[in-house]
Amino acid sequence: MTQIPPTQPPHTPPGRRPTADPGHPPARRGLVGLAVRIVLLAVVDALAVYGLLALAAQHKWAMFGALLVGTVAVNVIYAGKRHVPAKYLAPGVVLLLVYQVYVVFYTGFAAFTNYGDGHNSDKPDAVAAILAHSETRVPDSPVRPATVVARGDRVGLLVTLPDRGVRLGWAGHPLEPVADPVYDSAGRAIAAPGWHRLSYAQIASRQKEISELRVPASEDPNSGSLRTADGISAAAYRSTLDYDRGADTITDRGTGKVYRPTSDGVFAADDGTRLSPGWKVFVGLDNFETILTDRDIRGPFLGVLVWTFVFAGISVAVPFAIGLVLAAVLDGKRLRGHRIYRSLIMLPYAFPAFLAALVWQGLLNTDYGYVNVSLLDGAHIAWLTDPWLARLSVLAVNVWISFPYMFLICTGALQAIPAEVTEAARIDGAGRGQILRHVKLPLLLTAVTPMLIATFAFNFNNFNVIYMLTGGGPKDPDAPIEVGSTDLLISLVYKLAFGGSNRQYGMACAVSILIFVVVAAISVVGLRRSRAFEES
Amino acid sequence: MIRWFARTGWRHLIGVLAVVVAIFPLVFVLSASLNPSGTLTGSNELFSDTTDAHYRELFDDPLHPFGRWFLNSMAVGLATAIGSVFLGACAGYAFSRFRFRGRGAGLTTLLLVQMFPQLLAYVALFLLLSSFDDVFPAIGLGSRLGLVMIYLGGALGVNTYLMKGFFDTVPRDLDEAARIDGASHAQVFFRIVLPLVAPVLAVVALLSFVATLNDFVIASLVLNDPDKQTLAVGLYHFISYGVGRNWGVFAAGVLIAALPVLVLFQFLQRFIVGGLTAGAVKN
Amino acid sequence: MRPRLLLPAVLAAATLLATACGGGGGDKGDDKTAPPASAPAAGNGSLTVWADDARAKPLQDIAAAFTRDKGVKIKVVQKGLGEIRDDFVSQAPTGQGPDVVVGPHDWLGKLVHNGVLAPLELGDRAAAFSPVALEAMRYEGRTYGLPYAVDSIALLRNTDLAPQAPASFDELLATGRRLVEQGRAELPVAVPVDAKSGSPYHLYPLQTSFGCRVFGTKPDGAYDQAKLELDSPGCQRFGPWLRGLGKDGVLSTSLTADIATDAFLKGKTPFLLAGPWDAATFRAAHVPFAVDPVPSVDGSPARPFVGVQGFFVGAKSANPILAQDFVLNYLSTPQAQRALYDTGGRVPATTAVLEQVGNDPVVAGFARAAQAGLPTPNLPAMDSVWADWGLTQLAIIQGHGDPGELTSAMAGRIRAKIVAG
Repeated sequence: MTQIPPTQPPHTPPGRRPTADPGHPPARRGLVGLAVRIVLLAVVDALAVYGLLALAAQHKWAMFGALLVGTVAVNVIYAGKRHVPAKYLAPGVVLLLVYQVYVVFYTGFAAFTNYGDGHNSDKPDAVAAILAHSETRVPDSPVRPATVVARGDRVGLLVTLPDRGVRLGWAGHPLEPVADPVYDSAGRAIAAPGWHRLSYAQIASRQKEISELRVPASEDPNSGSLRTADGISAAAYRSTLDYDRGADTITDRGTGKVYRPTSDGVFAADDGTRLSPGWKVFVGLDNFETILTDRDIRGPFLGVLVWTFVFAGISVAVPFAIGLVLAAVLDGKRLRGHRIYRSLIMLPYAFPAFLAALVWQGLLNTDYGYVNVSLLDGAHIAWLTDPWLARLSVLAVNVWISFPYMFLICTGALQAIPAEVTEAARIDGAGRGQILRHVKLPLLLTAVTPMLIATFAFNFNNFNVIYMLTGGGPKDPDAPIEVGSTDLLISLVYKLAFGGSNRQYGMACAVSILIFVVVAAISVVGLRRSRAFEES
Repeated sequence: MIRWFARTGWRHLIGVLAVVVAIFPLVFVLSASLNPSGTLTGSNELFSDTTDAHYRELFDDPLHPFGRWFLNSMAVGLATAIGSVFLGACAGYAFSRFRFRGRGAGLTTLLLVQMFPQLLAYVALFLLLSSFDDVFPAIGLGSRLGLVMIYLGGALGVNTYLMKGFFDTVPRDLDEAARIDGASHAQVFFRIVLPLVAPVLAVVALLSFVATLNDFVIASLVLNDPDKQTLAVGLYHFISYGVGRNWGVFAAGVLIAALPVLVLFQFLQRFIVGGLTAGAVKN
Repeated sequence: MRPRLLLPAVLAAATLLATACGGGGGDKGDDKTAPPASAPAAGNGSLTVWADDARAKPLQDIAAAFTRDKGVKIKVVQKGLGEIRDDFVSQAPTGQGPDVVVGPHDWLGKLVHNGVLAPLELGDRAAAFSPVALEAMRYEGRTYGLPYAVDSIALLRNTDLAPQAPASFDELLATGRRLVEQGRAELPVAVPVDAKSGSPYHLYPLQTSFGCRVFGTKPDGAYDQAKLELDSPGCQRFGPWLRGLGKDGVLSTSLTADIATDAFLKGKTPFLLAGPWDAATFRAAHVPFAVDPVPSVDGSPARPFVGVQGFFVGAKSANPILAQDFVLNYLSTPQAQRALYDTGGRVPATTAVLEQVGNDPVVAGFARAAQAGLPTPNLPAMDSVWADWGLTQLAIIQGHGDPGELTSAMAGRIRAKIVAG
């Protein structure tokens, strides 16, 4: 079943009243604001009450608690005049908690499990799958026309035998002949005294019950049980495995071998044979231990880490520089056609990045790509298959993908610098270049530094560009594991966790957490240095 | 002539160069969208053979409701853009103008949460949405509103930072003065500070609109009904691994999908550039 | 101007905020227009089928018939073929996954290993299918899928350039080279190679004609993952041969599938190794071509991988009866199988339909090619096999390292991964 880590209430800290607030807003505006606030709060509360009732009815107490705490917090924040910063933060924080923090928590939780191929669901699902897999049709038993019939709450199967005999049975009650069956025009029994045929819609509404119905074929358990898969035919099946719910063991009917659940989430016999599938269990720090001690991972790790930093660094610095230069150059209002330039330069940004990478993969093809064939007049430069050229190409393409974004940000940032600031500098006798360097640039950097750090973090994990363009390759054929020259840490993780014969989701989560810790630590240091927290 | 070049000509030179670099791969895609062969990389003779078949196929095939995809993308994109501008501006304003307990920690946390590798997020998001399904189907699996919610939840970190940075460049004297005149914090926010940073609002709106339009992974997870899918999800089927890859139709679709971004950019350019700020300061 | 931009923004955001803070939108969201489709299929008599682009179209017609007869709505969801398997595995346990999926039989191992498939009992219907198709749908002794098409690689030949089918691969190369020398073609033969993942699938017929199989078999004919044969003596001869083709430029890692297809389409090459899915393109473009089995290189028969396409029912489907009814009683009919053929053009798995369409030379050609083939292994371990295998092929074709050593190292890595699980 779905497990939801306890969602935290929005923990917005209590705010201090801003000192400059005299607290005497014009009366009319205050009333309108108050009315809007009341209406919105009422709507929110109405929805919340509906949600709480629905959740309580379905016994989803974790979600119930989260919603209750959230609703109370929202009411506390918006009902009174205090908590001013919280009023601004609450909407975003609620969404952040639900959709982002939850993901982080879930990943953290999965990192301690063996979630992955073969351990894909919970134990009841695994038992059901094992038993379904072990149920086989009794050899030489025919598939017979059958009708699903009901008497009161009980469903049964009405089976028409080839020799025109008709039999009826239900759960725990073996088939026995029926005295006066009703036939349809095709000679198929459709009802028996006391039993009526279920319509298709009725079958549809009782599907689970009907698909779990097992009617003993006879008193002899070896003759198997009849079941219907499609609601119109039935055949006899025999199961080779039995599940004992009390003892929590599975027993092989033929050999008597007993399978018991193990701590790693499978049923295993004493001789080591295992039943598939298994289920998800907590494995503690196993995943982290594997990562930190695995030779295959530690070996290429350092090289990949260095390349990841280089890639992320250049992917921020170069597009930013280009974007800044372009924004400054095209800034002049006197420049004719500046709008057209801007629109055209924006074009790559309007283009999905994954497609851009695929197009570039084609353009950079060694023997058939447009770059070699047409632009370079038939050269055979291995843009994507030579290790160093591949690194260069990946960077170049990523610069192409991201410079319009930087251009846009820089344009916005330059424009947002209040005219009075530059005006003042001009009055003081500063030239255009001086204003740009000493007035605009520092302000611009203040504005965009946090964004640059976020872009760095994004590129640190920029799986898509690498995956679409080179797949991490070219691979060194002598390397023990599948790691290529352009692999980033994140694509290495992907290959490690999903490149084996089993996809190991829990393991991937564990590596993600480790990468997260690395990026987070670097970013915090970077932020401190960039003085982004400087109180202005 | 030399003086013209020194004053504005060089700007044109750089502009033209940037435009060429920006659009040459796109010209290639345009050629592919018109090429009857339906391949993307197979042909280097640009526009050697042209047909409008791919464009017609986009609108003719009932299995590929391109028009619906387009409208869905617009609806989801605009809702996300507007929502994230609003949420980001609110949060950015709070961090820029108020001093409260946990402010520094809150900012750091915002940024850090944003840095979590999203590669594995889809499983968690799927579980979350499927658990919403039983209670709030309107934001559960298959719902476009649910998708918008996910985008809004994910947008807060970067946008808040961006906005806070820009709010910081707006002199505090302006809002202090308004406060003394008797304006409430909300009035200062909506009537003085927001108009001043209109360029940034436009930028953030455009950024989220484009990011939303280009997202494929989460959108394909949430939207499983062809009639509700967005352009990125729908178009991806044309080229997804395996059979029936049709780059021609895909290229045609992507080019049409890029049009609204261009139109929106044209429209927002007026806010991003062009004298608004100068006037606002005097307000 | 400014207020006009801001006001709708604020209003819209406030609405969103209102719904967000409630933790959900109730029924006030934007989905009011289509409530039935957004509701989950919880035993409510509506089936969800996942299919890729190529299959979605014919399925919709069959689904319409089912809806007409039984009053059950079927939602055909198009997904990329690459996503269907993995999304199914991760979504099925929640009960929100699809009821029926369409895909190739080599998914079976992974799907069964994860417990997401319900066994299917074909009963008397089994007699309608070709034995190879039925066998492919079995995994560990149980049947899990209803087959409908049999795919394999074949040799497509431009009959203008090469009127005669080559008897061996050497003859094929000689013909191709002569045409290139005469200036009538640009490539002697087009073998698609993916620059990132190699081409084990397309090269398999050539590889097996050296006696180099991927896995050995158990006594019952199923593949045995303990018997990896990718470094057998045949494979050790195949490596240097492949290197030779790379050196001569016959094989190139630049020649991706779309370039290869385009080359054949434009008559730039007389021969192309391809599956049936590309044939429709060539027909539409009026390329004169014939389909033959891939000729042998080294004496042993060239045996391509055979992939059997089929329908699978989810183990946790909320509609077990409806799903089985749809698959067993609707998709198995000759009419449905014929409809699937008509749109996809793949070799039918139903013998009756194959007889109906068997006089089509393209279908007959692919059917003959598939007869010689070996089923694609459906072992769960195949994911790791494909990756290492393909990368090693790339290294051999590009001339990095010694083919023999590369082959042995690859086999060692794959064995280690299979043991590690």
